[in-house]
Amino acid sequence: MRKCIKCGEKAQIYLPQHRLSLCKTHYIEWFENRVEKSIKEFQMFSKKEKILVAVSGGKDSLSLWQALVKLGYDADGFYIDLGIGDYSKKSFNISIAFSEKLDRTLHTVSLEDEVMSIPQIKNYDNRPTCSICGTLKRYYMNKVAKHLGYRVVATGHNLDDESAVLFSNTLNWSVDYLKRQYPVLPEENSFIRKVKPLCKISEKESAMYAVLCGIEYIEEECPFSEGATSIDYKTFLSRLEEKSPGIKLRFYSEFLRKMYPILHIGEEKPHLNRCSICGEPTTGEICSVCNLKNKLKLKAGG
Amino acid sequence: MQITVVYRGQKKVLEFEKAKVKSGDILKALDLSKDFAFVIKNGEIVSEDEIIRPRDEVRVINAISGGAF
Ligand SMILES: [Zn+2]
Ligand SMILES: [Zn+2]
Repeated sequence: MRKCIKCGEKAQIYLPQHRLSLCKTHYIEWFENRVEKSIKEFQMFSKKEKILVAVSGGKDSLSLWQALVKLGYDADGFYIDLGIGDYSKKSFNISIAFSEKLDRTLHTVSLEDEVMSIPQIKNYDNRPTCSICGTLKRYYMNKVAKHLGYRVVATGHNLDDESAVLFSNTLNWSVDYLKRQYPVLPEENSFIRKVKPLCKISEKESAMYAVLCGIEYIEEECPFSEGATSIDYKTFLSRLEEKSPGIKLRFYSEFLRKMYPILHIGEEKPHLNRCSICGEPTTGEICSVCNLKNKLKLKAGG
Repeated sequence: MQITVVYRGQKKVLEFEKAKVKSGDILKALDLSKDFAFVIKNGEIVSEDEIIRPRDEVRVINAISGGAF
């Protein structure tokens, strides 16, 4: 029987990449400390700043929100209703119930009211759904957070998300994406600061925290994410991880430590304009969301 | 031996040839890696070598999620 290294009681959790055995109480404590350590390491935010957590109803965003509140941060939630049938209804109900349990505000925006629901947009735009959805989420998160007076947006991206993206960007040598792969994107050009406090927490660690804290989260996947290539990369990396525990964490954190600075030597910042329609930042004249709206208006004939 | 598990909200009955089934065997039967999946037995998260019996209440969690980069 494995024993908790903190208290000697029976350990429920074993973390091979950290060689740690922990009981329930000490796992929860370890998780929250680890989140706080990342916040401090990357100087994400302080306890005086108002934080807006992007909430989807999944394990990562809810675990993040709970950990931030327990650590004493001033964190409210933000939910975007994508209008994807039962999936969206269920995740909305879960998110609302959770905000009540935490006793924190949950702000919501409905894509159907703002543009069109994701299934409707699908009829007019044949780009991959996840990428349209990602663009819209980032746009409204930025706009709403600024409007409501928040200083920072925190998302639930975890170590598995980050190492899968890093792996994909490295395979393709997508240098421009690699340059922006950092757990803090500072506030600039009317972009609000964006942070990923779970960047060193694995997907399994985040799910175990949710289960041990009794957090009810939506287990099913978005119906449009089926066959997403990110799953292939994650499955591949987890096979490596099983053989060499800690490889994902090393891949990601050593990138940040050794490679990220090299990518920024002698760099000039791209110049950003304000979108002539909505005023949000863009490299062109009209931002990608206003572009999409125009296109949808044309195609929908109104 | 038959073990009933709840996986992603659905009940599944798994058949095993051997008499001693471990939590790791359940993950294998569902083709899940221990790197992203785990077993909850009678309300407690258990390690891969935990013995599972037919009367145990078993839930399997797969933590991997897809979606956009
Ligand atoms: Zn303990
Ligand atoms: Zn615009």
